[in-house]
Amino acid sequence: MADPPRFPEPDDVAAVRPDREPTTGPPRWVKVFGLMGLVLVVLIVIMLLTGHGPGRHMHGGLGGRTPPSSVSERGV
Amino acid sequence: MAPLVRKFALTAHVTASVGWLGAVGGSLALSIAGLASRDPQLVRAAYLMLKVIGEFVLVPLAFASLLTGLVGSLGTQWGLFRHYWVLAKLVMNLFAVIVLLLYMQTIGYLAGAAAKITSSSRGLLELRNPSPVVHAGAALALLLVATTLSVYKPRGMTRYGLRKQHEQRSVSRAAAVATPTASQAGEVVP
Repeated sequence: MADPPRFPEPDDVAAVRPDREPTTGPPRWVKVFGLMGLVLVVLIVIMLLTGHGPGRHMHGGLGGRTPPSSVSERGV
Repeated sequence: MAPLVRKFALTAHVTASVGWLGAVGGSLALSIAGLASRDPQLVRAAYLMLKVIGEFVLVPLAFASLLTGLVGSLGTQWGLFRHYWVLAKLVMNLFAVIVLLLYMQTIGYLAGAAAKITSSSRGLLELRNPSPVVHAGAALALLLVATTLSVYKPRGMTRYGLRKQHEQRSVSRAAAVATPTASQAGEVVP
Protein backbone atom coordinates (compact mmCIF):
# COMPACT_ATOMS: atom_id res chain seq x y z
CA MET A 1 0.00 0.00 0.00
CA ALA A 2 1.30 3.43 -0.88
CA ASP A 3 2.21 5.78 1.89
CA PRO A 4 -0.42 8.40 2.65
CA PRO A 5 0.45 11.85 1.41
CA ARG A 6 2.30 13.73 4.10
CA PHE A 7 1.21 17.17 5.24
CA PRO A 8 2.78 19.63 2.83
CA GLU A 9 5.56 21.85 3.98
CA PRO A 10 5.79 25.42 2.74
CA ASP A 11 8.52 24.38 0.32
CA ASP A 12 6.15 21.90 -1.33
CA VAL A 13 3.24 24.16 -2.09
CA ALA A 14 2.58 25.95 -5.30
CA ALA A 15 2.74 29.24 -3.44
CA VAL A 16 6.51 29.14 -3.33
CA ARG A 17 7.14 27.49 -6.69
CA PRO A 18 8.69 29.98 -9.09
CA ASP A 19 6.71 28.62 -12.05
CA ARG A 20 3.37 29.43 -10.40
CA GLU A 21 4.20 32.53 -8.42
CA PRO A 22 2.81 35.70 -9.98
CA THR A 23 5.38 38.37 -10.44
CA THR A 24 3.07 41.30 -9.78
CA GLY A 25 0.26 41.77 -7.30
CA PRO A 26 -1.80 39.30 -5.30
CA PRO A 27 -3.61 36.36 -6.97
CA ARG A 28 -7.17 36.73 -8.18
CA TRP A 29 -8.67 34.79 -5.28
CA VAL A 30 -7.14 37.27 -2.83
CA LYS A 31 -8.73 40.16 -4.72
CA VAL A 32 -12.11 38.39 -4.68
CA PHE A 33 -11.79 37.73 -0.94
CA GLY A 34 -10.78 41.33 -0.33
CA LEU A 35 -13.77 42.61 -2.27
CA MET A 36 -16.14 40.32 -0.38
CA GLY A 37 -14.62 41.43 2.92
CA LEU A 38 -15.05 45.06 1.95
CA VAL A 39 -18.71 44.51 1.05
CA LEU A 40 -19.22 42.73 4.38
CA VAL A 41 -17.65 45.58 6.32
CA VAL A 42 -19.81 48.14 4.49
CA LEU A 43 -22.94 46.08 5.24
CA ILE A 44 -22.00 45.83 8.92
CA VAL A 45 -21.40 49.58 9.15
CA ILE A 46 -24.77 50.25 7.50
CA MET A 47 -26.48 47.86 9.94
CA LEU A 48 -24.77 49.50 12.91
CA LEU A 49 -25.80 52.96 11.70
CA THR A 50 -29.41 51.84 11.23
CA GLY A 51 -29.64 50.42 14.75
CA HIS A 52 -29.13 46.72 14.05
CA GLY A 53 -25.94 46.36 16.06
CA PRO A 54 -25.12 44.42 19.22
CA GLY A 55 -27.28 45.22 22.24
CA ARG A 56 -30.35 45.94 20.14
CA HIS A 57 -32.26 43.08 21.74
CA MET A 58 -31.50 44.34 25.21
CA HIS A 59 -32.79 47.83 24.68
CA GLY A 60 -34.95 48.08 21.63
CA GLY A 61 -37.14 44.99 21.64
CA LEU A 62 -36.98 41.87 19.55
CA GLY A 63 -36.29 42.44 15.90
CA GLY A 64 -37.96 45.79 16.09
CA ARG A 65 -41.03 44.28 17.70
CA THR A 66 -42.34 45.00 21.15
CA PRO A 67 -40.91 42.65 23.79
CA PRO A 68 -43.34 40.01 25.08
CA SER A 69 -45.67 41.44 27.66
CA SER A 70 -44.75 38.71 30.13
CA VAL A 71 -41.09 39.69 29.78
CA SER A 72 -41.78 43.39 30.23
CA GLU A 73 -43.85 42.73 33.30
CA ARG A 74 -40.85 41.10 34.92
CA GLY A 75 -38.63 44.08 34.18
CA VAL A 76 -36.34 42.36 31.63
CA MET B 1 9.52 23.93 15.95
CA ALA B 2 10.37 20.23 16.30
CA PRO B 3 8.35 17.90 14.02
CA LEU B 4 6.64 16.21 16.98
CA VAL B 5 5.60 19.53 18.51
CA ARG B 6 4.52 20.83 15.10
CA LYS B 7 2.24 17.85 14.57
CA PHE B 8 0.81 18.23 18.05
CA ALA B 9 0.08 21.92 17.39
CA LEU B 10 -1.51 21.04 14.06
CA THR B 11 -3.65 18.34 15.68
CA ALA B 12 -4.78 20.76 18.38
CA HIS B 13 -5.64 23.40 15.79
CA VAL B 14 -7.62 21.01 13.58
CA THR B 15 -9.44 19.59 16.60
CA ALA B 16 -10.39 23.01 17.96
CA SER B 17 -11.43 24.36 14.56
CA VAL B 18 -13.48 21.33 13.55
CA GLY B 19 -15.05 21.26 17.02
CA TRP B 20 -15.96 24.91 16.61
CA LEU B 21 -17.52 24.17 13.23
CA GLY B 22 -19.57 21.34 14.74
CA ALA B 23 -20.69 23.49 17.67
CA VAL B 24 -21.83 26.21 15.26
CA GLY B 25 -23.79 23.56 13.36
CA GLY B 26 -25.47 22.53 16.61
CA SER B 27 -26.23 26.16 17.42
CA LEU B 28 -27.77 26.62 13.99
CA ALA B 29 -30.03 23.61 14.59
CA LEU B 30 -31.11 25.02 17.96
CA SER B 31 -31.66 28.46 16.45
CA ILE B 32 -33.87 27.02 13.70
CA ALA B 33 -35.80 24.99 16.29
CA GLY B 34 -36.25 28.13 18.41
CA LEU B 35 -37.48 30.12 15.45
CA ALA B 36 -39.68 27.57 13.71
CA SER B 37 -41.21 25.62 16.57
CA ARG B 38 -44.74 26.28 17.77
CA ASP B 39 -44.03 24.44 21.01
CA PRO B 40 -43.32 27.09 23.70
CA GLN B 41 -41.25 24.69 25.80
CA LEU B 42 -39.07 23.81 22.83
CA VAL B 43 -38.52 27.51 22.12
CA ARG B 44 -37.57 28.03 25.76
CA ALA B 45 -35.19 25.05 25.80
CA ALA B 46 -33.58 26.10 22.50
CA TYR B 47 -32.67 29.60 23.72
CA LEU B 48 -31.48 28.30 27.08
CA MET B 49 -29.24 25.73 25.38
CA LEU B 50 -27.88 28.30 22.94
CA LYS B 51 -26.39 30.17 25.89
CA VAL B 52 -24.90 27.00 27.39
CA ILE B 53 -23.31 25.97 24.09
CA GLY B 54 -22.09 29.52 23.51
CA GLU B 55 -20.43 29.89 26.88
CA PHE B 56 -19.00 26.42 27.32
CA VAL B 57 -18.28 25.27 23.77
CA LEU B 58 -18.30 28.06 21.17
CA VAL B 59 -16.24 30.67 23.01
CA PRO B 60 -13.59 28.26 24.38
CA LEU B 61 -13.19 26.52 21.02
CA ALA B 62 -13.04 29.84 19.15
CA PHE B 63 -10.18 31.01 21.36
CA ALA B 64 -8.50 27.60 21.15
CA SER B 65 -8.68 27.71 17.36
CA LEU B 66 -7.21 31.21 17.28
CA LEU B 67 -4.38 30.45 19.72
CA THR B 68 -3.41 27.10 18.19
CA GLY B 69 -3.51 28.71 14.75
CA LEU B 70 -1.13 31.44 15.92
CA VAL B 71 1.23 28.88 17.45
CA GLY B 72 1.10 26.65 14.38
CA SER B 73 1.84 29.46 11.96
CA LEU B 74 4.41 31.39 13.96
CA GLY B 75 6.22 28.21 14.98
CA THR B 76 6.69 26.94 11.43
CA GLN B 77 7.92 28.24 8.10
CA TRP B 78 4.34 29.07 7.11
CA GLY B 79 4.53 32.24 9.17
CA LEU B 80 1.58 34.45 9.98
CA PHE B 81 1.94 37.10 7.30
CA ARG B 82 3.78 35.25 4.53
CA HIS B 83 0.97 33.43 2.71
CA TYR B 84 -2.30 35.06 1.75
CA TRP B 85 -4.36 32.03 2.79
CA VAL B 86 -2.88 32.08 6.31
CA LEU B 87 -3.50 35.81 6.57
CA ALA B 88 -7.07 35.40 5.29
CA LYS B 89 -7.74 32.72 7.90
CA LEU B 90 -6.34 34.94 10.64
CA VAL B 91 -8.61 37.83 9.64
CA MET B 92 -11.67 35.55 9.43
CA ASN B 93 -10.86 33.93 12.78
CA LEU B 94 -10.43 37.28 14.52
CA PHE B 95 -13.64 38.61 12.97
CA ALA B 96 -15.59 35.51 14.04
CA VAL B 97 -14.26 35.67 17.61
CA ILE B 98 -15.14 39.38 17.98
CA VAL B 99 -18.66 38.91 16.56
CA LEU B 100 -19.18 35.85 18.75
CA LEU B 101 -18.17 37.72 21.90
CA LEU B 102 -20.47 40.63 21.02
CA TYR B 103 -23.34 38.32 20.13
CA MET B 104 -23.08 36.44 23.42
CA GLN B 105 -24.82 39.49 24.95
CA THR B 106 -27.86 38.92 22.75
CA ILE B 107 -27.83 35.19 23.45
CA GLY B 108 -27.63 35.97 27.17
CA TYR B 109 -30.62 38.27 26.86
CA LEU B 110 -32.70 35.70 24.96
CA ALA B 111 -31.79 32.95 27.44
CA GLY B 112 -32.54 35.21 30.40
CA ALA B 113 -35.93 36.14 28.99
CA ALA B 114 -36.71 32.50 28.18
CA ALA B 115 -35.78 31.45 31.71
CA LYS B 116 -38.05 34.05 33.28
CA ILE B 117 -41.10 33.31 31.18
CA THR B 118 -42.56 30.21 32.77
CA SER B 119 -46.29 30.63 32.54
CA SER B 120 -46.96 32.55 29.35
CA SER B 121 -46.90 30.44 26.20
CA ARG B 122 -47.60 33.52 24.12
CA GLY B 123 -44.60 35.28 25.65
CA LEU B 124 -42.32 32.40 24.77
CA LEU B 125 -43.57 32.28 21.20
CA GLU B 126 -43.09 36.04 20.88
CA LEU B 127 -39.49 35.51 21.94
CA ARG B 128 -38.78 33.69 18.68
CA ASN B 129 -36.17 35.58 16.73
CA PRO B 130 -34.43 35.08 13.36
CA SER B 131 -31.22 36.74 14.56
CA PRO B 132 -29.57 33.56 15.99
CA VAL B 133 -30.29 31.72 12.73
CA VAL B 134 -28.67 34.49 10.68
CA HIS B 135 -25.60 34.67 12.92
CA ALA B 136 -25.12 30.90 13.19
CA GLY B 137 -25.61 30.48 9.44
CA ALA B 138 -23.07 33.20 8.66
CA ALA B 139 -20.61 31.70 11.13
CA LEU B 140 -21.02 28.27 9.56
CA ALA B 141 -20.36 29.68 6.08
CA LEU B 142 -17.28 31.56 7.31
CA LEU B 143 -15.83 28.50 9.04
CA LEU B 144 -16.46 26.35 5.98
CA VAL B 145 -14.53 28.86 3.86
CA ALA B 146 -11.69 28.81 6.41
CA THR B 147 -11.63 25.01 6.34
CA THR B 148 -11.52 25.04 2.54
CA LEU B 149 -8.60 27.47 2.60
CA SER B 150 -6.74 25.19 5.01
CA VAL B 151 -7.17 22.17 2.78
CA TYR B 152 -6.49 23.77 -0.62
CA LYS B 153 -3.85 26.26 0.54
CA PRO B 154 -4.27 28.47 -2.54
CA ARG B 155 -1.11 29.98 -3.99
CA GLY B 156 0.05 33.48 -3.29
CA MET B 157 2.65 35.04 -1.03
CA THR B 158 2.58 38.49 0.44
CA ARG B 159 5.36 41.00 -0.23
CA TYR B 160 6.65 40.28 3.25
CA GLY B 161 6.61 36.53 2.53
CA LEU B 162 8.46 36.95 -0.76
CA ARG B 163 11.10 39.10 0.93
CA LYS B 164 11.57 36.53 3.70
CA GLN B 165 11.80 33.74 1.15
CA HIS B 166 14.45 35.65 -0.78
CA GLU B 167 16.43 36.26 2.42
CA GLN B 168 16.29 32.60 3.39
CA ARG B 169 17.47 31.49 -0.04
CA SER B 170 20.34 33.96 0.10
CA VAL B 171 21.37 32.63 3.50
CA SER B 172 21.12 29.03 2.25
CA ARG B 173 23.27 29.80 -0.78
CA ALA B 174 25.85 31.56 1.36
CA ALA B 175 25.95 28.62 3.77
CA ALA B 176 26.39 26.15 0.88
CA VAL B 177 29.32 28.14 -0.49
CA ALA B 178 30.93 28.46 2.94
CA THR B 179 30.78 24.72 3.72
CA PRO B 180 31.93 22.63 0.72
CA THR B 181 30.88 18.99 0.54
CA ALA B 182 33.26 16.09 1.13
CA SER B 183 33.67 15.43 -2.58
CA GLN B 184 34.45 19.05 -3.26
CA ALA B 185 36.96 19.04 -0.41
CA GLY B 186 38.51 15.87 -1.81
CA GLU B 187 39.08 17.54 -5.14
CA VAL B 188 40.88 20.42 -3.52
CA VAL B 189 42.99 18.29 -1.20
CA PRO B 190 43.71 14.91 -2.84
